[in-house]
Amino acid sequence: MRAWYRLVFPRSYLDRRKRAGFLFVLPALCFFGFVYLLPLAQSVAYSFYKIAPGGAREFAGLSRYEKVLTDSTFWTAVGNTVQLLLLSVPATVVCALAVALGLDRIASLKWRNVWASMYFLPFATSLVAAALIWQWIYEPVYGFLNYALSFAGIAPQKWLQSLAQVKPSIAVVSVWVRVGFDTMIFLAALQTIPEEYYEAARMDGAGAWQRLRYITLPMLNAQIVMVCILELIFNFKIFDQVYATTQGGPAGASQTIIMLLYDTAFKYFRFGEASVMAVFVFVTLMVITVLQWRLLRKPVEY
Amino acid sequence: MRHWRWMLTLAVACGAIVVFFPFFWMAVTSLKTAPEIQRVPLQIPPDHWLNFGNYVEVFKREPFLRYLANSALVASIAAASSVVVSSLAGFGFAKFRFPGRDVLFLAIVGILMVPFQSVVVPLYVWMNDLGLLDTYAGIVAPDLVSVFGVFLMRQAIEVIPDDYIDAARVDGGSELRIFFSVVLPSIKPAIATLLIVKFMWNWNEFFWPMVVTTSREMKVVTLGLMSFTNMYFIEYNLLTAAAVLSILPILVVFVLLQRWVVQAVVMSGLKG
Repeated sequence: MRAWYRLVFPRSYLDRRKRAGFLFVLPALCFFGFVYLLPLAQSVAYSFYKIAPGGAREFAGLSRYEKVLTDSTFWTAVGNTVQLLLLSVPATVVCALAVALGLDRIASLKWRNVWASMYFLPFATSLVAAALIWQWIYEPVYGFLNYALSFAGIAPQKWLQSLAQVKPSIAVVSVWVRVGFDTMIFLAALQTIPEEYYEAARMDGAGAWQRLRYITLPMLNAQIVMVCILELIFNFKIFDQVYATTQGGPAGASQTIIMLLYDTAFKYFRFGEASVMAVFVFVTLMVITVLQWRLLRKPVEY
Repeated sequence: MRHWRWMLTLAVACGAIVVFFPFFWMAVTSLKTAPEIQRVPLQIPPDHWLNFGNYVEVFKREPFLRYLANSALVASIAAASSVVVSSLAGFGFAKFRFPGRDVLFLAIVGILMVPFQSVVVPLYVWMNDLGLLDTYAGIVAPDLVSVFGVFLMRQAIEVIPDDYIDAARVDGGSELRIFFSVVLPSIKPAIATLLIVKFMWNWNEFFWPMVVTTSREMKVVTLGLMSFTNMYFIEYNLLTAAAVLSILPILVVFVLLQRWVVQAVVMSGLKG
């Protein structure tokens, strides 16, 4: 308490310096307070209210939760999101690891940079543009993908318009956008592994696979965990790609949580229900993040 | 061993070409006419490599220049304000001791766990109350600072030797003077990184601008792209031309300044 009092009424030179430090961080604190913390609290508050599209609200206890959590549309959206996530997260992380390992072995620095920047390029693109380009590639009649597959004797597929193929098709877009980002993280980490470790392993007769299994992967543990968490968060919040292409279709097969949240809030203006979903998303992400961190992060063993 | 190396390079190169292909396909399609893209069997090169008719048409159909300008304006403001606020906060967190400092920093990093979608409804309500719906201020407000910026700036400022700062203090400079004369000049690379990355993020932003804007004049470029999809048959020749226009500015920035972007990614990765 006294420490805080001294921040407001500094007495000594050191007090004034403390106050200066606090004043430096104050704008950022205010910003995050107003743009994240207060609205988050407000979201929680809204989730207990029944809010009419006009804005009139009445306290509704847990009834909004009951309404959302017993709605099959909501659980379908959760299911779709989880399926999309299971398709794209492992694929992204494995591809990124493979690419990073490959790039790391390329001796010529110039070529390594050229290839690396090609993998990295989609990361600079907006998800909307990325999804629309892919939608054109997936186009059933005039699209490039069916044309290319025709040479392998594969009949035209409907991709984004097919109940069975829509999720993998969208997952490909997510992987395409994210793989370069993860590759960069892995590549940078790979370059910090001392060459001596590999030499020592070679002396002991370790093969390429063993070196990967017992040196490279353990050394990358922290990055792998972090990338998994980042990808999980990114894919859990999937919206742009879906909104730009299928809008949740066909027949709701690509409806995701955030799509549903958006529609509930800004198409039907049911803020109470939308806030329940907002709280659900926040709590789920927090639990996943903490659990993953706890479970996967092992101390590096040598 | 030699063979193996070549195979590996080949695999990496093939992958890179596959990843690059959608960009190529977008550019090629944007040079084709509507009948050309509906040819069966498909023909890869356009009839005329210099057919820019689609680009002209894009600007005729939609105020696309306005969209580009809106995005540039919003992204520039967000990038600039982010640098100012983040570097101030970074200085405070890195070089001062005050009660609650570490807890506050941890709280800011913890905000990374709050998805923007979880706060969007109250933000929308506030913007409505403040009369900021469909204004530049409304679009840019939630993007003025990012957690990543504060984090990056703290890292960059931490490595400035304390002696420099103390020397400036002995000379009688105020803390703010020290910030401008000692701190800012020594973190130019971090500033460049943050400017580029933040500009890029906000240029590509979609969710919030869609929520907060209603009129055509306030659309940003990602929303502008969507206006070429609101038809029964999507004219992909126009859509791809618009996509090229939306991606090109950011791609140029990105390719020229890639070093900084990579540094930012690595920074966020290694310190995770």
